[in-house]
Parts: sequence; C-alpha cells; structure tokens
Amino acid sequence: MKTRATARFGVPLALAGIVVVAGVFIPGFMSRANLTTILLHVSINGILALGSIFVIITAGIDLSVGSVVGLAGVLAAMALTSGTVLHVFGPAGAAVVAALVGIGAGALVGLVNGGIVARLGVAPFIVTLAMMTAARGAARLVTGGVPIGFPDPGDPLYDRKIAALDALHAVGGGRIPVPGLPTGFPVPALVMLALVALGGFVLTRTRFGRYVYAVGGNEEASRLSGVSVGWVKLGVYAIAGASAGLAAVLLVGQLRSGGPDAGMLYELNAIAAAVIGGTSLFGGIGTAWGALTGALLIGVLNNGLDLLGVQSFWQEIAKGIIILLAVLFDVWMKRLDARRWRERGAGEGSGAVAS
Amino acid sequence: MPDSSASPMPRLVAAGITKRFPGVLALDSVDFTIRAGQVHALVGENGAGKSTLLKIVAGADRPDAGTLAVDGKPVSFAAPRDALRLGLTVIYQELSLVPALGADANIFLGMEPARRGLLDRRAAALRAADALRALGATFDPATPARDLSVAEQQLVELARALARDARLIALDEPTAALSHLETERLFTQIRRLCDRGIGVVFVSHRLEEVRRIADEITVLRDGRRVFHGPAAAVDDAALIRHMVGRDIEYARIPPVSPVPGPAVLEARGLTRHRAFTDVSLVLRRGEIVGLAGLVGAGRTEVARCIAGADSLDAGSMVLSGAPYRPASPREAIGRRVVYLPEDRKTQGLVLGLNVRENVTLPTLERFSRWGVVHGERERAAAAREVAAVELRPPDIEREAGTLSGGNQQKVVLAKWLLADADVFLFDEPTRGVDIATKSELHRVIRSLADAGKAVLIISSELPEILALADRVVVMREGSVSGELTAAEATAERVLALALPASHAA
Repeated sequence: MKTRATARFGVPLALAGIVVVAGVFIPGFMSRANLTTILLHVSINGILALGSIFVIITAGIDLSVGSVVGLAGVLAAMALTSGTVLHVFGPAGAAVVAALVGIGAGALVGLVNGGIVARLGVAPFIVTLAMMTAARGAARLVTGGVPIGFPDPGDPLYDRKIAALDALHAVGGGRIPVPGLPTGFPVPALVMLALVALGGFVLTRTRFGRYVYAVGGNEEASRLSGVSVGWVKLGVYAIAGASAGLAAVLLVGQLRSGGPDAGMLYELNAIAAAVIGGTSLFGGIGTAWGALTGALLIGVLNNGLDLLGVQSFWQEIAKGIIILLAVLFDVWMKRLDARRWRERGAGEGSGAVAS
Repeated sequence: MPDSSASPMPRLVAAGITKRFPGVLALDSVDFTIRAGQVHALVGENGAGKSTLLKIVAGADRPDAGTLAVDGKPVSFAAPRDALRLGLTVIYQELSLVPALGADANIFLGMEPARRGLLDRRAAALRAADALRALGATFDPATPARDLSVAEQQLVELARALARDARLIALDEPTAALSHLETERLFTQIRRLCDRGIGVVFVSHRLEEVRRIADEITVLRDGRRVFHGPAAAVDDAALIRHMVGRDIEYARIPPVSPVPGPAVLEARGLTRHRAFTDVSLVLRRGEIVGLAGLVGAGRTEVARCIAGADSLDAGSMVLSGAPYRPASPREAIGRRVVYLPEDRKTQGLVLGLNVRENVTLPTLERFSRWGVVHGERERAAAAREVAAVELRPPDIEREAGTLSGGNQQKVVLAKWLLADADVFLFDEPTRGVDIATKSELHRVIRSLADAGKAVLIISSELPEILALADRVVVMREGSVSGELTAAEATAERVLALALPASHAA
C-alpha cells in the first residue's frame, strides 16, 4: 500500500526476469561467487538508498549523501590512523572509534540539514545542494586534497596504523565463511541486509515510521493531528546522514583509505535506486524493501552487462532507461487505477461545491 | 422568452443550465440573461451556485444540460479560451494576475503584441498605459502586480478585459476587499463599461450595493433561480427572504439537558491581523455553539487559532480554569481541544494512509512502547471508534483516499473521538456529504454535546446551524456581529447579521 505500483510487482518481476535471462545467457552469472559479488557491489548504494528513502518519503530530498560519504570517510580514516587514538585504544579500538566518528559525522551533517529544513523552512533541495558543496569542500580542506590512510614506510607508527587499517578492513572488506561459498559472504552485504530489515521495521512498526509516512503524505494534516513535523524531519535527515557515514566507514575499510573525493555522485545512484524501487518523490510512498530491490536491479544490470563486456557508457544509458521505465509504468498503473475508480462511480473525489 | 421592445439586446442568454457534481445538484435548470449596457446582479448564499454559473459562462466548466447563446448565436465552450474569444470575461475574486509581472505585461499576457516573434514591449507599454488611464488609474503601468492594491489589480483586470474587446464582464465579489471610496470608483467604471455597451454581471453579498448598481437581479438558492426581476422592485428584506428560503431543513435535535454546563473555554478579545478582530466567545459543557457568517468572515481563522494551528496577535483564553494559549496543534490536543478542518482532503486526513493509521495518528503514543506500535491494541481502538461513527463498511485497513466524502468525515471524527477531547471545533463538518450521512453526523455531534463536551460548529449552511446550535454567534468581516439563542435564531435574523454592511454613502 505504501509502495508505488511499480515496486509492488513491476520491480521484483523485472529483477527476477533479468536474473533468469542473465542466468541462461551469461555464463558465470549464476555462480555463487558472482551473486555474492553483486551483493557486495550493491551494498554501499543499498545503504545510501535506504537512508535516502526516509527523507524522500517525507517529500524531501538529500543531495548531500555522496559528499557526506567523502567527509565522513576522511574523518574516519583520520581517527583510525591518529597517533593519539591508536595509543589510547589500540588498533582494534581505533577501528571502533573510526566507525563511531564516521557515523557520528554523517549524523551531525544530517542534523544540520534537517534543522535548516525544519526550522528555517528552506527547500530541502537547496539546503542539501548547499551541503553537498560544503561537505565536499570540508573533506578536501581537512585532507589537503589527498587520501588519508596508508602510512609512509618511514612512519614511526607504521605497524600500528597497518593493524588498524586491517582491523577496519575486516568489516569493510571482510568475508564471513559460509559453507558452500568458497569466498565467504561479504560483510558489507550483510550489513546492508541487516539495515534493510531494521529500516523496514522502523518504517512499518514504529511510531516514528508512521509519522514519516504521515508527514510525507500530508504535512498539514499531520501537524493538525499533533505530529511534531519538525522533529520527524530532523530525524529523517539524521538517518540519511548516519547511513552515509556508515557507508563511508565500510568504504574506508574496504579500500584501506579515505579519499576526499570518495562518494562523488553517489546521491544520484541512491535516489535512482529509491525511485526504481517505488519511492515517490512527492512523498508518502516507499519501502525499505523497495530501496533494496531498486539497488539490486541496478547492480544486477551492471553486473550482467559487465560480464557481457558491454562498455560502461552503455550501462549508464541502460540505467537511465530503467529509471524512466519504472516511473512511466507507475504513471500508467495509476491511470488505469483512476479509470477503474471512475467506472465504479466512486466519484466523490472531485468534491466540488458551488459558490 | 421574447424580449420586450424596450429592453436592450441580450448579450448572453443562458437557458436551462444544469450542472451536477457528485452528490450535489449545483445548478438546476437556471435561466440567466445579460443585456448589453446593463448590470445584472447575481445574489445568493454560499453554495447557491453563483460560482458554478460564472464558471460556465467563462467556459471553465461545461453544463450537463442547457444552452448558451451569445448575441443570438448558440455557442458551446470547450475551454475558457473559447469564451474569451467571444468577449466573455470573468474577473474572479482571487485575482489572476502574475505577481512578478508589471501591470502592462499582465494586461497583454497571452496576447502580447509582437513583431516577427519578438515582443514589442514599447507598444505594449504604451497601449497598456492608455487602457489604464482610460479607467482612471494613476499608478505606473510597469508596477509589478504584487505591489498593487486590490482595487488597482481590479483595474488591471478590467483593462485586460477591455484590451480583449470584452463584450461581457462578470465581476465575482469585486467590492469584498475594497474601501468605500474604491467601491465608488469601481462603480463609476462599471457605469462607463455599460455606456460602451458591455454587459456586466455583478456578484455580491452587499445587498444595498446590488440594488444601487444593478438593473436586474437574479437570486439563486440551492442551484435554482428563485427570483428574477428589476432591481428597483425589491428591498433588502425581500432579497433575504428569497436567499434563505425554506427548502432544506433538518429536524432540530434538542439537547438532553436544556441547561448548559459550566464554561469550558472562554475567549476574550481574540485578534489576528488581517483575519479577525476582538472576537470573544464562551463554550460550555453540553452546548453546541454555531458560528455563522459568510465565507471569509473569519470563522475558520478563529477556530484555527483556538486549535493552535495559527497564532494569535492579541486576546486571551481560559480553558478549564487555566490560561490557554496553544503554540501548536500538538499543545492544543494535549489540552484536549481538537479541530476538524473544513477541507478533509488537504487538512483532515492523510489520504495515502489507511483508516486505522489516520484514526490513531494523534494518539499513537498510547499504543506504543519504546516507540514500537502495538498492532493489536491499535487495531482494537481504531475498530471501536470506527464502529462508533458508523463507518460503512467498517474496514480499518482501507486507504482513506478511496472513501467517499461522508466516510472520510467519519474517519476524521473517529480520530478525534479516540483523542478523548473536551472541546470539539467543527469546521463545515458536512460539506460535500450526502443528506443521509449529514443527519448521522448531526446525531453524533449532538451526542458529543450530550456527553458533556463543548462543541463549536462552523457551517455556511444556515439550516444546519439552526438545527444543531443551542446558541448562534454570527461573524461579519472579522468581528462578532451578534449572538442569538436557539429560540431567537431564524434564518432571516442570522443572515441579516452575517451580510456585510454596505458602503452606503
């Protein structure tokens, strides 16, 4: 009910269709190793899409998540390789601190976004566009433009820093041994699946989740019903920011470094996944499951085209077409729905009264 | 109907115009003739069908039955463009200028003089300045529309109509926002339009003005023409009698206890700039207070301020013995004051949520622990309240947007019943609702009062006010113009208090 028609059957069907076709025609696609690779590749975008749908369901938008990935990443990497942190907490402790710094920084940026949107009433598009630029600038400023992470060979703390990077890599690039999976199951994919489950729970079973849909569906009616609209908005931007922070930490772990330019254009991928997965940019509609299927559809498509040796340029074009198709399909379904309503004579919708 | 030789030529003849909206017969076989060089006034209560008739003349709505003829030739309009082309212009109360554009640019909007596809701005400015000067305007034609007063914007609209060679101009409540002097100036311009052979339709609630400017008067009531004749032949009392009529009547539902309880909410000197001034009223336990008045009299604004939806500029309130000044609806709900807005679709409900989710929205805290909603308890509570308001079918998982208007209103009601409020503020609770559901809602509202709640009901439908209210407070142009007991309240008296005082010279 809270998904667009596309997501209810269109996207899962398209996903299943692509998987079957790819499985039949592309050698190696259905291998367990390849399927886990797809999950790994999807995980960062999936996490960002999950955070983004909270914002989009309230009829907002967060364009800053890509830049937040960059900023939170360099801050996490700096914490991870800081002499003081290493001295106090040790390499494993530093990894924990780095994760907290990354997620915290993301959440903080989100709170600023949400605060400006909620209290000052500035359009989310503008606020997060400004934040997109500012956060990217901040990331470059604190790093001087170069990636943070791998120590110089002469660094007195070389061994400890390597140990710390390895500790975080156990999360960002780690694999959990699973019988039957020679390469194991990637930890980021596990994190993504866990977060989708958590996000779905929050959206469907908690008071906050209900308010998110209510505010996006009709802000004024929600306010008149006593919902604290401002707090809800603050919350969703904080969630989007924290998700971006978490994605950044996983990325730093995976790459063993935090670059100020990491996450460029990730916000658009996240929004694309959300839209393909049935989230309405007008608000009130969207699910965690939809965000996952949207991200998966993009990932499966990219992977299949990769295996076929199709140029990445064509992949971009394909993604564009899919976004358009997903939304068009939805428009058609709605029109069909509307016609059915009219024919049933449930026309009280117009509610027009004279004078 | 053959014209008598003395009457000027009919510009527009509308015959047997019928327009049906779901659940409402907005116009029922209405005849309406506008003659060249004359002013024809259109009068009626809110909802009588005036706006619908204007929309049909403007080509914005198509009649379900009936014919239109312009200068003797039958016409039918597919879009407002077609009506404009024949010289029929409607100037609505909400003026339709582009705020950022200058007066001159607005005049030629959509018909800009151009040379080889490029705007001829000099020509436009010159012609606009001429047109405005001819109407007696003194402001710079380049002034952006948003910086003009309402009266000046009206002149721009008139100039636009003239630039389009209008042969009929309809003015929807043109004097509502005008001062006495501005009204006089407008009347001068209207007479000049008539001298040019233009037919004028004048819609107003100000009866004295109507009789002064109009040659003919048509009174609409509930979509029917109930009076038509020369303006000289009627007085205010007769017009009011025609306007209120006796067509719809609801059985009065008396209170169980004839003596109201103690005061729950006392408001003194409430003022909100540009909305209402110095409004005082008392709501008592077990009593239904009707807040009557025309649309725009400030009734909704008063209710919204009491409910914390808007802020007050001045005044004080006491609720159950303690000072009360809500900063948000949330705070008002916490003090057990709830508001059921006029527009269910944009303010009352979240249409994308289902019935259950709407009903429990203000009270969700009660059904959750650590922020997690307890589904079983929520469902039980929603089902109980939905049964209390007789929602049919009582399906709590149905999306609110798919319900009929009456059912939607029942969902809003169920929501606030669950909130266990002491003060209920109803704004047009039965608008767009069918008759059977109306009486059901009336019964529920009365039972609320009988259960000791304080109830305020805003309605533009006089019979509804008369059937429900134990006391009627009438507002006129932002202030309270009178208060009547149920025994004193008659349609005529309420309407006489509600109609604005004329700007009589």
